[in-house]
Amino acid sequence: MTELAWQRTPLLTIGFFIAKEIRNLIKNITNFIPLLAVVFVTDSTWLPYAVGGGYLVFILIGAVLNHRFFLYALTDDAVHLRTGVFSKKSLTLKFERIQQAELDQTWYFRPFGLTILRVDSAGSAGKEVEIPGLSIAVAQRLRQQMLAESQPQAQSQPSHAAQPSDTDANPDFIRHFGLSELIRAGIVDNKLFVLLAVLIYPVSQTDMLDERLVPWLEANVQFIDQSMWLNIGLAMAVLSLLFVLAIAVTVIHFYNLTLTINQQRYQTRAGLFSIRTTSFRYHKLQRVRIRQNLRARFLKRFNLRVSQLQPSVNAQQQQSGSFMLPVLKLEDLNTVSDWLHLPDRQQLSWQRISPIALLQPSFWVALTAPAIAILSYLKWESSLLALLLGAGIWLALQLYVIARWQRYGFTQTGGWLGVKRGVFGHKEHWYPMYKAQQIDCYQSPWLRLLGYADIIIYTAAGAEVIKYQPYALAMALQNNWLASVASNRARWM
Amino acid sequence: MPVEWTPVERSYKTYLQLVVLIDMAVLAAIALGLYLFSPSTDWLPAPHWLGVPWAAMTLFFGLFWSSRRYQFTAYARTTEAMWLRRGALWRLTRAVPLNRIQHVEVRQGLLERPFGLAHLTLYTAGSGGADLSIPGLLVTDAEAMKAALISTIAVEPTDESTYD
Repeated sequence: MTELAWQRTPLLTIGFFIAKEIRNLIKNITNFIPLLAVVFVTDSTWLPYAVGGGYLVFILIGAVLNHRFFLYALTDDAVHLRTGVFSKKSLTLKFERIQQAELDQTWYFRPFGLTILRVDSAGSAGKEVEIPGLSIAVAQRLRQQMLAESQPQAQSQPSHAAQPSDTDANPDFIRHFGLSELIRAGIVDNKLFVLLAVLIYPVSQTDMLDERLVPWLEANVQFIDQSMWLNIGLAMAVLSLLFVLAIAVTVIHFYNLTLTINQQRYQTRAGLFSIRTTSFRYHKLQRVRIRQNLRARFLKRFNLRVSQLQPSVNAQQQQSGSFMLPVLKLEDLNTVSDWLHLPDRQQLSWQRISPIALLQPSFWVALTAPAIAILSYLKWESSLLALLLGAGIWLALQLYVIARWQRYGFTQTGGWLGVKRGVFGHKEHWYPMYKAQQIDCYQSPWLRLLGYADIIIYTAAGAEVIKYQPYALAMALQNNWLASVASNRARWM
Repeated sequence: MPVEWTPVERSYKTYLQLVVLIDMAVLAAIALGLYLFSPSTDWLPAPHWLGVPWAAMTLFFGLFWSSRRYQFTAYARTTEAMWLRRGALWRLTRAVPLNRIQHVEVRQGLLERPFGLAHLTLYTAGSGGADLSIPGLLVTDAEAMKAALISTIAVEPTDESTYD
């Protein structure tokens, strides 16, 4: 065996390891609940500081040690890694096995021209590796090399591997998203409520609001209880400030968003401080989700996300890193669906499910009406109010149930299975049919009585249920789809 | 194309009944413990309010449910897929295409061992859990099916040149 040239990452990358330690700490925060409880319960003044200081020291020592013991070596066809302070781990990633390689230019490395190379192999859990602190040129060369190896005949030109540019010289398709579009994206995907929850939670946990803020406001701001309208206006101002802040978060995250498509590789690149690229190769596509929420419907924009096979262990965490286009006009959507070889959106014939599907939810909704009427009668002792309330809520829920059924549809065109749903918003899922993993035909006693069955299609990006198909048709569909999966020899991941 | 179902072993029914008995015995033990050892039994209903439903459930699961489940459970192997149907009241017919199988496993639980039973489990990508698990097979049958499946998967042609 040839001697490997083990390298340590630059000292600067200590920041990366600190960030990683903190992330781990937050991820395992539930382990510390007993300790946190002690901190909250205790009367001692120094204990919280001791615990906080202990964490700080722990994180710093952990980061330094992890940095010292993180070794990597590069050869012509593989990356070798040796990590671990106490339990050692050594890992060899062959370039040909690498599924995905992305560069993360985080804000703390950008001024130094360094970057993080994120490598994912074969879609199995625990095989994701991050090498921090590579210089951009080296990382880009490495990435090209990895992707070229794993794509044997499509990118055989050696000139590509040598080229230091991240996006190849002239891609097949390129699209920039301007600031105004990104502001729309911020309105559509507004994190206001997440932000509110994050802000309100710590405030509600401590008594700061009652003990400090309210007396302070009352003492210093005289006008506060003089007018109700002023109070409402103040609240609105705070909310709209938060709304704008939430838009800013989205804009920072997607700043200068660029979509490039080159030789079956689809890539986005975005970010104001940290530049992130995410990409996928076409044959790895497992699901396309097109979504339009209520705000997006007013703005006439769509949101598109492509899922690949994700090991279920880190599916949650990967959500943020998945391939997403946050804001698309209708014509953009048509162009992108064209590039994704989705069926023509103008010529879709959606199939509805049987109206029998309305029976069960209607039954439950019908039960709520008397329940609400009785409850409101007990509370206000007015039979008219109770009747009106019961009837009104029943009507609203029943209309919702019908609208949901009416707007649901599925279609099968050109090897794709499409499902649309949503009452106020609109959501479509598209699955390449031949990539289905298993197909179920399910009957509850109720469905058996009616002679219907649900079909469940499991794909590598999640399951889709198509309800209430006549039993014979369901069996036939299961058979047909199965035959089309089994007879297809194309790569599915 | 109609699927030719193969029923599972007869002893699977006995195995199901044994599982039901053990589960119900655990419930009974908990209830007994409460009645015998709790300091005050005022808040507990009279024993027959629990005992009668318990007996009814034991009879229902031990006689009706387990035989229905045994009757319906069957598997089939076609050239395209592995099929399984299972359930007693809620019924599921599941099919896994052979070219999507990731790995195959034969497992034998503690209670299956006295009956010489095992189950064959197939896994596909992306779901995390077990995908298709055929219960009530003789160990030798399960091993033979596993070997046959693995050799089929191994010789499967894949079209490497297609990129879409």
